[in-house]
Parts: sequence; structure tokens; C-alpha cells
Amino acid sequence: MRRFALQWLAASSLLLTSLFIQAGAAETRPQYGGTVRIAIREAPASLDPSLDLSGAVEADSLARRNLLALVFETLATVDDRGRVHPGLATEWQAAPGNQRWQFHMRRGVKFHDGSLLTAEIAASSLRMANPSWKVFAEGDSIIVERDHGDSTLPAELALTRNSIVKKNSGGKLSGTGAFRIADWQSMKQLTLEAEENYWRGRAFVDTIEVEMGRNFHEQLVELEMGRADLVEVAPEQGHQVGMEGRRVSTSEPMEIVALVFRGAPKTADEKLLRSALAHSVERGSMKSVLLQGAGQPTASLLPNWMSGYGFVFPTDADLKQARHEREQVRAESSWTVGYDANDSLARVLVERVALNAKDAGLVLQPSTLQTSATSVADLRLVRIPLASADPWIALANAAETLGMAMPMSTGKSVEDLYAAEKSLLGEHRVIPLFHLPAECAVSPALNDWRPAADASWRLDEVWLGKDKP
Amino acid sequence: MRLTMRNSLRHLKEILIVVFLSCSVAGASDWSELAQQLARKIAAVTGPCAIAVTTENRSSLAKKDFEAMSGTLRADLEALGARAAKPEQAAASAAVWLSENRQFYVWLAKIQQGAGESAVVMVTAPRGDDAGLAHEPMPMSLHKIPLWTQEDRILDVAVLEEDTAAKTIAVLDGKKVSIYRLKSGKWQQAESLDIAHAGPWPRDLRGRLTAPAATDHLLEVYLPGVFCKSTATLPLALNCRESDDPWPLIATAAISFPTPVGAASAQPLGAFYSTTRNFFVGALAPGIGKITNVGKFYSAASLPRDKYFLWLFAGMDGQIHFVDGVADQAMKADWGSDIVSVKTPCESGWQVLATGTAENGMDTIRAYEIADRDPVPVSTALDFSGEITALWAEAKGDSAIAVVRNRETGDYEALRVAVACSQ
Repeated sequence: MRRFALQWLAASSLLLTSLFIQAGAAETRPQYGGTVRIAIREAPASLDPSLDLSGAVEADSLARRNLLALVFETLATVDDRGRVHPGLATEWQAAPGNQRWQFHMRRGVKFHDGSLLTAEIAASSLRMANPSWKVFAEGDSIIVERDHGDSTLPAELALTRNSIVKKNSGGKLSGTGAFRIADWQSMKQLTLEAEENYWRGRAFVDTIEVEMGRNFHEQLVELEMGRADLVEVAPEQGHQVGMEGRRVSTSEPMEIVALVFRGAPKTADEKLLRSALAHSVERGSMKSVLLQGAGQPTASLLPNWMSGYGFVFPTDADLKQARHEREQVRAESSWTVGYDANDSLARVLVERVALNAKDAGLVLQPSTLQTSATSVADLRLVRIPLASADPWIALANAAETLGMAMPMSTGKSVEDLYAAEKSLLGEHRVIPLFHLPAECAVSPALNDWRPAADASWRLDEVWLGKDKP
Repeated sequence: MRLTMRNSLRHLKEILIVVFLSCSVAGASDWSELAQQLARKIAAVTGPCAIAVTTENRSSLAKKDFEAMSGTLRADLEALGARAAKPEQAAASAAVWLSENRQFYVWLAKIQQGAGESAVVMVTAPRGDDAGLAHEPMPMSLHKIPLWTQEDRILDVAVLEEDTAAKTIAVLDGKKVSIYRLKSGKWQQAESLDIAHAGPWPRDLRGRLTAPAATDHLLEVYLPGVFCKSTATLPLALNCRESDDPWPLIATAAISFPTPVGAASAQPLGAFYSTTRNFFVGALAPGIGKITNVGKFYSAASLPRDKYFLWLFAGMDGQIHFVDGVADQAMKADWGSDIVSVKTPCESGWQVLATGTAENGMDTIRAYEIADRDPVPVSTALDFSGEITALWAEAKGDSAIAVVRNRETGDYEALRVAVACSQ
């Protein structure tokens, strides 16, 4: 046996030596240095996380959220399983009833301007983002008092808008994140530099350059030409882009596409007509044709990966039921349905919904919207990024964005979540259509790029290989 | 002989599968309790009546487990007076699904009675984390033995006491050294020693934990810019100080193996580690022959030759450097950044264990023999559940400690990697 092994060793040695010499260098430990270049569609006018984006749902994009997370941090973080972890706060306790919370601040953390993070600054930042909250410093900790019990407060504090920001004189923003702002040209370009003394350890890459306001096609060209390392891909193009040999990563569905009415139905007839519209929508064919197989048809606000029960809400069209409901209402009905003029997917979806509605005897007139906040349409098609992988926070945030009040719930079980969502859907204000994933294409030079279920980029963990120019 | 080996491995695999299933799927008693809860909730809606039940598995649980659970649920419904019936004869219908989200299995039923609105009831159970299974044997095989798993990044593990298996271990992470003892089949924390340090740790933090044969202390800890030494007796205390002392490149006990015929006795070799990055800066102490600097590298392994020790360095230039005290010969290899050498009873007696290229984020370790300067694989690649973040030789020299970040759970798993000779 030993002789066999030695013969085998000698024979394979000859063969494998040549293989070894031809093999490329493949060290796998991260290397420091280099610049990551990103192109995104969004063109934010401000980097202030506390900016009130309610009513401007499209502006709170996943890309903006990911960029801000590089610069600013929150007291707690939520991972892509919805679990809460310490961030700038190391631990926290709630008084009985969950109305009063105490968060103990991490010591030794510095802002990018060199000043120390204190409980006072953090409290001030949270007050700015949440004017209705009572927030104050108490020694090295922060006290948050709500007017009602809130067991999800730590997860809520992980939202981007609750980032701890220090506003210096002249309005300059300073954060505690892995990267500092080196250059900011509103709506055009952002340059970030690695913070050497970042408390979690300096990021591997030196610089991140972000080109903003690039459409999907321009982004792909940038990637193809080697001028970008990370670009967004439209969900309906993800499959094709992957087939062309590019490195594409897809998150779990993190965006809701839905039709939203301006207000609650005022009459029983109006409720019936809305129900008829909901029953008329053929999500299956929209997915095949318009979305090129991407996304998941849905009749729920939360995607199934977050809730576990999403499929209970039926998504199949029921034209018979839709016509039956329409026929019960004698009055004529005609709705205008608005969509973002810059969103080609929204346009084709709205046109298809109008066709489906027509089959049920309903009249929908598509119209473009310049800004959703000033919408005068009867209903509009919206795309809402889910705020968190925590289902309660995601649902509450979606409800707020849609202008609906989140039902109060004493329990936090999956069954309670279902009851809250069912209650929201029962208001007949929103017709969920699809859940879409976030898709990115990345260059081969980007190492340790780990697509997260919640579409977070985690660029502080990536590093560039030696082949990167 | 090989067939016998294969059979026994097959048996081992079957045993592992049985153990895996019984551990990962919550446990039969948990599921039967859950089935009772769901049955009670369904019966509370329908009352005692004839009910048509359909079941569908939308979770990642195996079909076999799901069918067993469905059977339990049906039996529980019967016991509550909700007897099974065909749809046309039933007063109520229940569509039952086993689904899941990221944290829970969700077992739910949609109940329809007449033309009224349907009711949905559900119960949940936390999802366990799945574990990987075995691998196939080849001329020389590598085995992994799980030691410890935790959420915080594990930097190194030292086995302090063992008989047939580890009984006391020390686990190093960025915050502390924890001592665990195996009592009645369960690990219990005996001590936790905090590591004091001033500045932030660098990314890709690495550290070494050794238990040298010294009388005045039990443990030594090497971290970027920090050195710690424990006391010798229990309860232990850990004293840390800022330091750029060289880290030991080779486990103490490994060099106590008989030295090569005619070779100078092996000298402990240390290397200076960057205080702000994740690599050794290249300076050696005291050096290999006349070579005292080999350039930046990630890891090193040594192999005895007739009259000298051959050192391998996984360099930051992506090459493996063979250093014999006179020359530094570089070669490209499809290895990862981490290598160690182990002394075994197999073949030449010394092998190099090297990480792979972590394609798709799943790492491997493979054993190689080095004939002259040519690495020859002598085992198949041992698969891991994610990227290997640390690989260090154990003090006794015949095995290594690998730390892998499980791609599914995100947890860090420390495993002992041992070589077994084929017959």
C-alpha cells in the first residue's frame, strides 16, 4: 500500500506541479487599500439621515440607505434575520410596560471630526429625528420615553433616520461610521474615505466614490467599461444581466409595489369597487411578461420570507368575482392612477392594471406624477423599500409611508403580526402587487462581497484584489 | 480493505444523519406539543365536526419530517372531535401549511366553514441552525471535529485537557479568553478573562492562543499590538500589555519531534505582526539561517528536511515562498492565505494543510506533501460551511485548529482538523 502511495505521489507530482505553476495567485485574506466606485440611480440632495422623507417614498431608496450606513451609525442594528444587535449602544433595558427605555452608550467612539460621542449628542440627534419622542441623556446613557409601550424600540432605533448625527457649525454633518465624507456634490457625486480609527476597525478599502443619478443602462456601461465596481440592476433585467456573464447578486424581496388609494373608502359601493379592482389584477402574467420572471406576486405587505404567512393572502386574479362586485354598483366609476414618470416599470405595470380593470368593467386612467407628495390622482402606484428585516418595523414603516395607522398590538407573535397586517389590508386602501428584490452587479475585483438578504451592501467588509488597477 | 473502510464510513454517515435529524428538527416532543397547540386552535374555530384537512410543506424541513408532523396533527384533531372527512362530506375545511420566516417555522391553517370569511390560526417554533455532514475519504483523509461555536469571531482555540476528546478548552475572541469544561456531556464556562486593549482592533482580526509548557503561566495570547499572559493556577488572571513582540510561528510542542538527521535542532521562530493590519510584516526572529526578512505574509509552515528546515510562507504577493535559510524561492499556487504544517504517521510524516480559494464563499482545507518544492495534494479537499478565518497548528503538532464563519448562520465555528492515514 505504501509503495502504491509513493508511486501515486510521484506520478501526480509531475502533473500537478505544472498545474500549480500555471495557477493564479489566490490569497484569500483581505487586503487593504484601493477605491471602490459605485454608480446609483438615486440622486439625493442631502445626506442628512433625519431628513423627513415621509410622503416622498421613492427618495428613501435602498441605495441611499446603504450609503448613509457607511457614514452614520445607529444605537442598535438589525441583521438580515431581523435580530437586533448592539451598535453605538452596548446594552439596553426597558421599564415594565416598555414605555421607558435606557440605552447605555458605547465608550470611546469618536465622530469623524475627532470629538467624542456623548449621550447628550446622541439624545439631541434622536430628538431631531423624532420630535414627538422624549429623549434625554442620563449619565452615560440615553433615556427614551414613549407615550405608549413599544417593545420594538431597539429595532426602530436601527432605522437609518435614527442615525446619530453631529451637526457642526455651517451644517456640516459628522458621523461615527466606517467612512468619512471627503467630498459631497449634492445630487452628483460623493467621495468617502476610510476612517482610520473606526471603532470596529478600519475598513479595508481606502476610498469609495459614488456617481449619482445614473440610469440603469448607464450604470451597466460603467461596469462594463471597468469604471464602476458596483451598480444597481433593474429587477426585470437581473436575469438577463446574469446570463450575460456578469456577477449579479439578488436580495430577498425588499420592495413593495402596490396601488394606493388617496383615502379610505367613503361608501360601501366604493369599497366594493376597490375590491373588484383587487380581484381583477393578473399578477401572474405581469410577472412573466413585464417583470421577466423577477419578483413575487403578493397580496400582502410583508414578503413571505419575513412573515412566513404571506401566501395565505390569495394573489390569483378572480375576474368572475371582480365583475360580480362591479355589477353590484350602479354608479359609473373612473379613477386616475398616477405613477412616477421616470419609472418605466411603473408605467407598464399601471397600463396592464388598467387593462385588467377594464375587463372587470372598471375605468382607470393612467397619468404621470412629477412628485408623489403632490399627487392628485385617485390612486397611485408606489414602490416602497422595506425599512428593516424586522417584520414589525417593516410593517409599521410601510403603513406610515402609505399614510395608514399601524394597529396597536399587545403581543409580538407571528399571529399578532398577521392580525395587524390583515387589519391594514382590510381598510381597502392598498392593493399589494409584487415584492421585488434589490439586484446589483459587481466587478470581479470586489472581494468578500456578501449579498445580504435585506439588500444591505456592507461595503466596510469588502476588499479589492490585486488585479484592481 | 477499502470496501470495509467505505462501509464503515457509510455507517458513520447514516449515524450522523440520524443524529442530525433528531437534533436539528426541534425534537419530536417539541413538534408533538406544537401539533397539539395547532389542533386545539383549529378545533376552537370548527368545534367538533367533520373536517377536510389538506397539508402542504412550504418550509425547508424534509418531507419525511413534515409527513410525520402532519400525521400527529391529524391524530390530535381526531382526539379533539374534529374527525377527518372527504371535502364533500365535511362541515369545514382546513388548509394546513408548514412555512417559515428567517427566525421561525410557521405552522398555520386557513379554515373555511360555509361561505363565511375564512379564519387563519398559527403556531410557531424557532428555527434551528443546520449543520453540515461528512465527506468522502481518499488516500489520506482530513477530519473535522467541532470544538466550539459562538457569535463573536473566534481567533484561536487551545485544547487544555483531553482524553479521547477535548475536555477543557480555551477560546480566544477579540474581547476575552473563555475557559470551558465538558461536564456530563455539556460545555460549561469555567472562567472568562477580559482582554484589555487601548485602540480599536484592525479588520480581519487575528490572534494566537498558546499554552506553553511553562511553570509561571498557563496561557499566552498574541493580538495585534497586545500580548497577554495568564497566571499559572486557577482561578486564572490575564495580564495584557501593549507589545510588538514577535508571534510564535510554530507550535511549541511540534518542534520537539525528533529533528532531522544531521539537522541543526529546530529553533523556535517568531515573526512580527502588524499592529494595524492583518498580516505579518516579514521580519523574523531570530531568522532562518541568514534570512531575517521574507516580506509581508499571512501564515507560515515548516517541514523538516535531512539537514535543514524548509519554511513555507503564504505571502501577500499571492505566492508561496519556500525558504531554506539560504534562498527564497517563490511559486504561485491556488492556495488560500492560511497554511500550517502537521506531523502525522502518514507517508513522509509531515504534511502542509492549506486553505482553498473560497469559491462562492465556501472554503476548503487540503493536505499536501512537498516533494522538493512541489506541493502534491494527498487528500481531497475538506469542505467547510463558510470562509475560514483562522488556521493555526495545535501545540501537539498533529492537528490544526480551523475557525470558519458559517455562511448560513453567521456564527464562528472552531474545529479541530486532523489527518487520518488510509490503509
